[in-house]
Amino acid sequence: MQYLGEHHLWSLAGRLFVALSFAGAFVAAFFYGLQVFRSPAAREERPVHSLRTAGRWAFGLHSLGVLGTIGVLFAALFNHWFEFDYVWRHSSLDMPLEYIASCFWEGQEGSFLLWLTWHMILGWVLIKTAKTWEYGTLFGLAIVQLFLASMLLGVYFGEVKLGSSPFVLIRELPENIGLPWTEFRDYLMRIPAFRDGQGLNPLLQNYWMVIHPPTLFLGFASVTIPFLFAITALIEKRYTDWVLPALPWTFFGVAILGTGVLMGGAWAYEALSFGGFWAWDPVENSSLVPWLTLVATGHLMMIVKHKKTAPGTTLFLAILSFLLVLYSTFLTRSGILGDSSVHAFVDLGLNGQLLAFLGFFTVGSLVVFFWRARSLPKSASEDAFSSREFWMFIGALTLLLSAGQITLSTSIPVFNKLIGPEGLLPLLDAKMAPPADAARHYNSLQIPFAIIISILMAMGPFLRWKESPNALIRRATLSLIISVVLTFVIAWGLDLWDILYVALLGASLFAFFANADYWLRYLKGKWTAGGMALAHLGFALVLIGALISNAKKEAISTNATFIHEDFPANENVLLPMGDTVSMFPYYVSWKGERMEGHNRVYDVEFYEVESPLASWADGERKHLKTSFSLQPFIQMNARMGNVREPSTKHFWNKDIYTYVSYADLRNAEEQQGDWKEPMEASLKTGDEVFLFNEYLLHGDTLVVVDAAFDPASGELTHLELALSMTLKAMDGQTYPILLPYLLDGNSVSNEEVQLEALGIKLRFDGVKDEEGSYGITAWQKKANDPPFILMQAFIFPYINLLWLGSILMGIGSLLAVWKRIYRSLSEGAK
Amino acid sequence: MKRSSIILLAVVAILIGALLVTLQDASVYATFTMAKKQQPETVTVVAVLDLEKPMDFQAESSLLTFTALDKEGVASTVIYNQPKPTDFERSEEITLTGHYKDDAFIATEILMKCPSKYTDGEGVVADGTYTQTQPAP
Repeated sequence: MQYLGEHHLWSLAGRLFVALSFAGAFVAAFFYGLQVFRSPAAREERPVHSLRTAGRWAFGLHSLGVLGTIGVLFAALFNHWFEFDYVWRHSSLDMPLEYIASCFWEGQEGSFLLWLTWHMILGWVLIKTAKTWEYGTLFGLAIVQLFLASMLLGVYFGEVKLGSSPFVLIRELPENIGLPWTEFRDYLMRIPAFRDGQGLNPLLQNYWMVIHPPTLFLGFASVTIPFLFAITALIEKRYTDWVLPALPWTFFGVAILGTGVLMGGAWAYEALSFGGFWAWDPVENSSLVPWLTLVATGHLMMIVKHKKTAPGTTLFLAILSFLLVLYSTFLTRSGILGDSSVHAFVDLGLNGQLLAFLGFFTVGSLVVFFWRARSLPKSASEDAFSSREFWMFIGALTLLLSAGQITLSTSIPVFNKLIGPEGLLPLLDAKMAPPADAARHYNSLQIPFAIIISILMAMGPFLRWKESPNALIRRATLSLIISVVLTFVIAWGLDLWDILYVALLGASLFAFFANADYWLRYLKGKWTAGGMALAHLGFALVLIGALISNAKKEAISTNATFIHEDFPANENVLLPMGDTVSMFPYYVSWKGERMEGHNRVYDVEFYEVESPLASWADGERKHLKTSFSLQPFIQMNARMGNVREPSTKHFWNKDIYTYVSYADLRNAEEQQGDWKEPMEASLKTGDEVFLFNEYLLHGDTLVVVDAAFDPASGELTHLELALSMTLKAMDGQTYPILLPYLLDGNSVSNEEVQLEALGIKLRFDGVKDEEGSYGITAWQKKANDPPFILMQAFIFPYINLLWLGSILMGIGSLLAVWKRIYRSLSEGAK
Repeated sequence: MKRSSIILLAVVAILIGALLVTLQDASVYATFTMAKKQQPETVTVVAVLDLEKPMDFQAESSLLTFTALDKEGVASTVIYNQPKPTDFERSEEITLTGHYKDDAFIATEILMKCPSKYTDGEGVVADGTYTQTQPAP
């Protein structure tokens, strides 16, 4: 059947492209594989160029498949073809153009595609540059791509689903097959649900979400390359040579993955309202861990490069980093973190496949590693105590331990699956939950590691090859003195006296100054040589910034309402509209709210005390001047829930971070419908009563409009009354009122009369028999109370050090990469 | 003793230490009954909102009081001294971290699991009711 308006051929094309990329990867793995298991010597002697050419062609077809897949998916998103399940679930018509990219990788299928794409591009760089390493690395890469492409296949073998295709049409979903509406040729026009999609998760409608995922996935993809080199080295027994071509890749990965992780932090800080850039959330942790092990790998590779010894640990770590990326993919995508993470992904039913992906590479690489373990060269002698290599090794080990600890705590849900009460091997009687206070847990364990790393980073540049300890101490003295003095000045200035914090502050300041000193004094501030020093001092700044901004993060908003001694005053300040509320050191006032697209924006004005001396005499409030204004907002999204988004004022030395923690989100009309508890009054003609302490109600006359009696019994059967009154407002304005009362048989109808201008309404309840006074019920609108919001505000001191540090770290790592590429290019030219 | 063995020992010691700290810091998934017994220990309870019971949010003091049912179906009053999370009523499951105090569970953190976008009622529902809809003009 031909469906009207459906882009069925595009869907077919998309699936064919996925199949092409899958098949291309398979064929490439086959042809490159044929070469890998010939010894390099034999390859050199009798090169079979046709095999390599075939491998490259196959990889080319694979690349074509990947590019085609991207093209079709973009076309579908761009043109809003909502018959595509992926498009319908992740985008909508009102989507701003720049977020089409975010829609692209919001779903799991899209993020696998992103990963696939970066691998494909890096694969071509390898083909162009890896020379003799091309066979092994491309063989491995093709297998990785085979697994990734299979995630997008979306084919069924009986009940087993292999992959999830982004090109499935909604009518083809298993739950829809056979339903009556799928029989309509014009179902797209008939069913209103197809006219618009579900839209992008409001949290992801942020510019950081346009650049964070591609950066992070480029980082993940570059972790694969050292792994490929390591596996090739093991298979081809080139245990130390691999380090030279793999080093630039490793530090490229360090730079990009590190930036990607911190961009995630920046997004959390800018767009989420949990109040910070890092929350030790499992999803954040699992992208940090591979970075830590990759940094360790890179440093161990330097040792191997300089000493040509003991490559075993290095090879193992390069493999481990990649496996940890796969593990983190499994953690975040399998839904296993459901209870413990705010970022839970939707389970696509690919758990088995993800586990197979992880299992294949874990078992496969371990087999290769232990198969070669015996023939791995051992180091003949131990490194001297004062050698750079020894301390670099200790540093790498510390990073590994730090990564191990984070993995351990993040994996608690996995332990539950394995040894929990409902797990495979029920050893525990209760399910373990993640630490209740995650920040305290991780900080207590990670700060000591960070202190060791910082000290090693500080000593690193001065530990020249084979030098005496005295020379080292002489060189480091200057930066040591500066940092000790500065530590005490800062700790005193900020009142930061926790022993661990002071130790970390001192150690990271030492690392900063030692590397700055080394770069300026010994390297004469040369950019090309300064990569290492810059990266290290950048990382030290990241630590300093993270430490100060977290340890001295201060809530300036407090709720003064006393509830109970068990509840300490919380961090939500009550802001009635128009009031000026003290929030030391500022005064704040909520000016009003407005709609801006989907966002309900709250304008909050911050004031400073202008002249402290004058205000000391006659009160601060008389001497306020506007300091700045912030616009925290709530993104209204009926489908996926409203999201509170922060607004932050950046100063050079601190950030003021605010978000609206509570607001009445009903529209004006709904809010108008609210009446307060009514009040009752009774009065006679000529009497006056106060209403709501604001109005004076005067009883004028009671008019009998009409009355009828039953002629037989003489009983009253029909009575129509009108009570005439006058309402006087505070400003002297008077309002005449006529309240009706109708008795007809046994039914009474006495409608309320509303005074729109005043926001009150009145009802005449009849004459109270005994005194002959008139009963009145009066209501006042709730909206007459000033509306209010609750807001939280925090000061993050010196958080800019963190961002500055991460930029320097990125630049430094890239400089180191550039230096290595430059050197190998010039060596190649000789 | 060789230096490498010392390092190895140190590594093993640190790992064991980290494992112990993790076990100590990890809270357990409990039920309200367990939490009541173990008060004032901090526990994590997976529960659902009881929408039949009144929910009270004192906006001025930002105190939220509601009733939740744990996995065993035991109901408990929960007090949360924070603003009501957005779309709280729509949550499918809530993970409460906190402790018991007398007759109420005092939550310090609430993690909500919201219904997946698919089953949200608005989509292309699987029961074919859309066959009744009028063709678009």
